[in-house]
Amino acid sequence: MDITTTLKAIESTGLAAGIRDSLYAFPLIESFHVIGLTMTFGTIAIVDFRLLGLASAHRPFTKVAEILKWTWVAFGLTVITGALMFITNASVYFSNLQFRWKMVLIALSGINMFIFDRTCGRNVNRWENDNAAPPSGKVAAVLSLILWISVIFLGRWIGFTTTGQATEPEINLDDLFR
Amino acid sequence: MNDFAQWLAGTQLSLAIQVRLWVIPTVQSIHIAGIGIVLASVFMIDLRIFGWAGRDQTLQQTTRRFCPWLWSALVVLLITGVLMVIGEPVRELMSLSFWLKMSLLLIGIVVATLFQLALRRNDPNWEDEFSSRWTTKSLAVLTLLIWCSIIVLGRLIAYDHVWGSWSLRPIV
Repeated sequence: MDITTTLKAIESTGLAAGIRDSLYAFPLIESFHVIGLTMTFGTIAIVDFRLLGLASAHRPFTKVAEILKWTWVAFGLTVITGALMFITNASVYFSNLQFRWKMVLIALSGINMFIFDRTCGRNVNRWENDNAAPPSGKVAAVLSLILWISVIFLGRWIGFTTTGQATEPEINLDDLFR
Repeated sequence: MNDFAQWLAGTQLSLAIQVRLWVIPTVQSIHIAGIGIVLASVFMIDLRIFGWAGRDQTLQQTTRRFCPWLWSALVVLLITGVLMVIGEPVRELMSLSFWLKMSLLLIGIVVATLFQLALRRNDPNWEDEFSSRWTTKSLAVLTLLIWCSIIVLGRLIAYDHVWGSWSLRPIV
């Protein structure tokens, strides 16, 4: 099965159709996507600022980094809601340039994190009480901030380059309470 | 309000934003990054109140660490928010989500200010008792819910049709 048919098959699933047909599903899923991504970005920024020595500089790095378990929870929410939005219009998103770049940058953030863990993070006990991380840690922090801010930009840009929901059904809320 | 929005849409500044298509997405992205700082800051203070994170710091230290970031980010949000209103006045001002968001924002700011004042006025020994109060804990949860609702309402500005007949938009 080639990619076009796969994408079409994803779009025609009951779940995808259900979200498309609902008035409220897509806006609410997108809202929760924003909650997830802002929490992901905000908590990552706390750790990056600590690495750079710009905030929480007096606290041991490992204490500050404890927040990252919440980052994963928030990231999970963002991925799930992102996937739910993707399936409603899979072929359009898949061929969207901004979407593709966004996925590449998220992968690069992951690689950046992995490299940090394997290098600078490995001897964290040597510098965790210093006001800032060693140069390699600072580089990782700057890269992380640039990558995640770019991901936010690209994500917002997807909304301006895909047509999204073509039809907006008319509804009268008063009918619900009749 | 519709007249005001229409007038605003015709001003030089609004037109300058409207013709540059990159401005709105860029300003929105900065707005979202700012929300990230606000939400994470509120969350960190909440986690400390519950004792789920940052227990090596007192509540007062945690608040002193995150409140300046919270207020600075709110200033960024105000500036970018005003730019969005100027750029798309009808979309923003004629949306029910926008006004609900502004009302919740006001509540969020009042709660944050009162919380900060209460912590500042009392001595550090008082804060353990303060954090263990159920009113403090429920207020912490409520505050997080308020900020999350502000995010949801902010996104719903783009989908004003969800309000159906409650929408403020003039019928065309």
